[in-house]
Amino acid sequence: MSQTVFAPWENPEEKPLIEFRNVTKRFGSFTAIDDLSLDIYAREFFALLGPSGCGKTTMMRMLAGFENATEGQILLSGQNIGPIPPNRRAVNMMFQSYALFPHLSVWENIAFGLKRESKDKEAISARVEEMLRLTRLTKFAKRKPHQISGGQRQRVALARSLAKAPKLLLLDEPLGALDRKLREETQFELMDIQEKTGTTFVIVTHDQEEAMTVASRVAVMDEGKLIQVATPDVIYEAPNSVYVADFIGDVNLIEGRGTTEGERIRLDWAEGQPPIWATPRGPVDTDRALTFAIRPEKVSIAKDKPEDRRNLLEGEVIDIAYLGNISTYHVKIAGGQIIKAQTANTRRLANRDITWEDRVWLSFTETSGVLLEH
Amino acid sequence: MRRLVLIAVPYIWLLALFLVPFIIVLKISLSDIALAIPPYTPTLDLSGGWSAIRDFFGALDFENFVFLTTDDLYWRAYLSSLRIAAISTLITLAIGYPIAYAMARSAPEWRPTLLMLVILPFWTSFLIRVYSWMGILSSEGVLNQFLIGIGLIDTPLQILSTNIAVYIGIVYTYLPFMILPIYATLEKMDESLLEAAEDLGCSRLSAFWLVTIPLSKGGIIAGCFLVFIPAIGEFVIPSLLGGSDTLMIGKVLWEEFFSNRDWPVASAVAIVLLLILIVPIVLFQRNEQKAREAEG
Repeated sequence: MSQTVFAPWENPEEKPLIEFRNVTKRFGSFTAIDDLSLDIYAREFFALLGPSGCGKTTMMRMLAGFENATEGQILLSGQNIGPIPPNRRAVNMMFQSYALFPHLSVWENIAFGLKRESKDKEAISARVEEMLRLTRLTKFAKRKPHQISGGQRQRVALARSLAKAPKLLLLDEPLGALDRKLREETQFELMDIQEKTGTTFVIVTHDQEEAMTVASRVAVMDEGKLIQVATPDVIYEAPNSVYVADFIGDVNLIEGRGTTEGERIRLDWAEGQPPIWATPRGPVDTDRALTFAIRPEKVSIAKDKPEDRRNLLEGEVIDIAYLGNISTYHVKIAGGQIIKAQTANTRRLANRDITWEDRVWLSFTETSGVLLEH
Repeated sequence: MRRLVLIAVPYIWLLALFLVPFIIVLKISLSDIALAIPPYTPTLDLSGGWSAIRDFFGALDFENFVFLTTDDLYWRAYLSSLRIAAISTLITLAIGYPIAYAMARSAPEWRPTLLMLVILPFWTSFLIRVYSWMGILSSEGVLNQFLIGIGLIDTPLQILSTNIAVYIGIVYTYLPFMILPIYATLEKMDESLLEAAEDLGCSRLSAFWLVTIPLSKGGIIAGCFLVFIPAIGEFVIPSLLGGSDTLMIGKVLWEEFFSNRDWPVASAVAIVLLLILIVPIVLFQRNEQKAREAEG
């Protein structure tokens, strides 16, 4: 059995599970979602990522049925869900606050949705037990929500929203209330459960690391628009805009003027400084202002001038951020700009030779950065 | 030591304002009626020494309590009070819950104003407000004149001096005590719970029954007791708004004290009333404690 890459969005034959068709949502004079079109496919783990107020929660609430689109249509399996109330949609939501019913036990919380659609006690009980096992909550079935920990409450909320086997599960900042370590564990648990159940997950988050970890595709949003929709690696390595490059991870941005020279582009960024050479992935309009974006971990730092690199910047170390596994050097180059360079701390701290106020050379290859138009 | 003083303060308060009067009333209820000042016997005379005290206790008996069982006026008054209090409580709940619900669902900037409006009647004397109901409900009152004026009725309705007027008075007076605790529980409720219920397949109505009502249970119980307990012993409202056939124990108590000047029987009536009230008060306390535990 060969492992095929899961990428239904690249297959033009594939029917999307959810289609946003030119959806606009206004609250009074405020436009939360601005003429947005988006396809999400079955079995995807899709992340909506953006700062607060970017419209990601509104998108989710429209999918759940708590808000209606002002213009445009939202289709679920080809059917317009606009007129369908939330209680009739094959969509369930896991709330940011978990919204567990405080007067019901864990068991009853999970059974709540099942009891609404079926009277068959044995079937309900079997399904609840299955959900309890899936989320490892069997021991806590009789407890009330206030008698269990935050991580357990999160799992109850997940079990409750999965119990009705929805076509689509919406997760609103599902891990926001957990501490870092638990959050990381839970991310993998979520992915595991998503794979086991084969449910389509749409997750809303402002945590880019979370989105990158769990999602098959990430949509970066800003002010009601989609800026880029792509797999996490494309979002990270080939952002389509300064906004995305800056929002996801750490990045150095150098503004300059580009000119095409053969296959390469020459970026003049400061007078009297050697230009930056870059090989773009696709066609780039030159003879205009461009921004060169490069991730700190792709910038090498050395005390001696490397001879084999074309892109070289000289500067002075003004700050070192020690993060344990990696260190980020803040280097001030000519013109006063700060460039960040990151190295893995493979040697013990005492053995490293670069320190504050050292003159250093920064270097990077021609393909390691991207050129972004404004 | 400081803790002891702190704990002692409420107990001394309770001793002075509840226990001492209670013991006095209890003692009177065990005494016999007499044409004297005060109008009962025996009275304790400490100067008489040990034997006088023994005589004093020997003269006390449960005669008055036995008397309460022989005349059916008393148990009928107790039952009637319970019934009027229970019906008033239900009416107050039926009116108070929607008001509390609307207040809790209103825009947050309106809530303090609405709360103020609920409490506003307390700024006027209770007696004046009950008197003004007489003006509204009497045959020549505002209500009858209005109804005749719009042609709905020809002859004035007899509302004043009936049990209906008593219900109106009790419901009107105790409505804030129902609204406030229910409002407090509804206001705390996380609205995403209702969305979650809808998301899981509830209609708006079933979400209300399955989530809102159970979560406001504490407030409903507290409100019901706050209305029910004082309504049982209510005296002013039945005597001002009720008629001669309105039988409430508060009125009976008053008549025993001031018309019959039979303090011992009146005291016995009061003691039995207190015993009846203990049951709902204990239940109320237990409800409050449960609510506190659920929060903590």
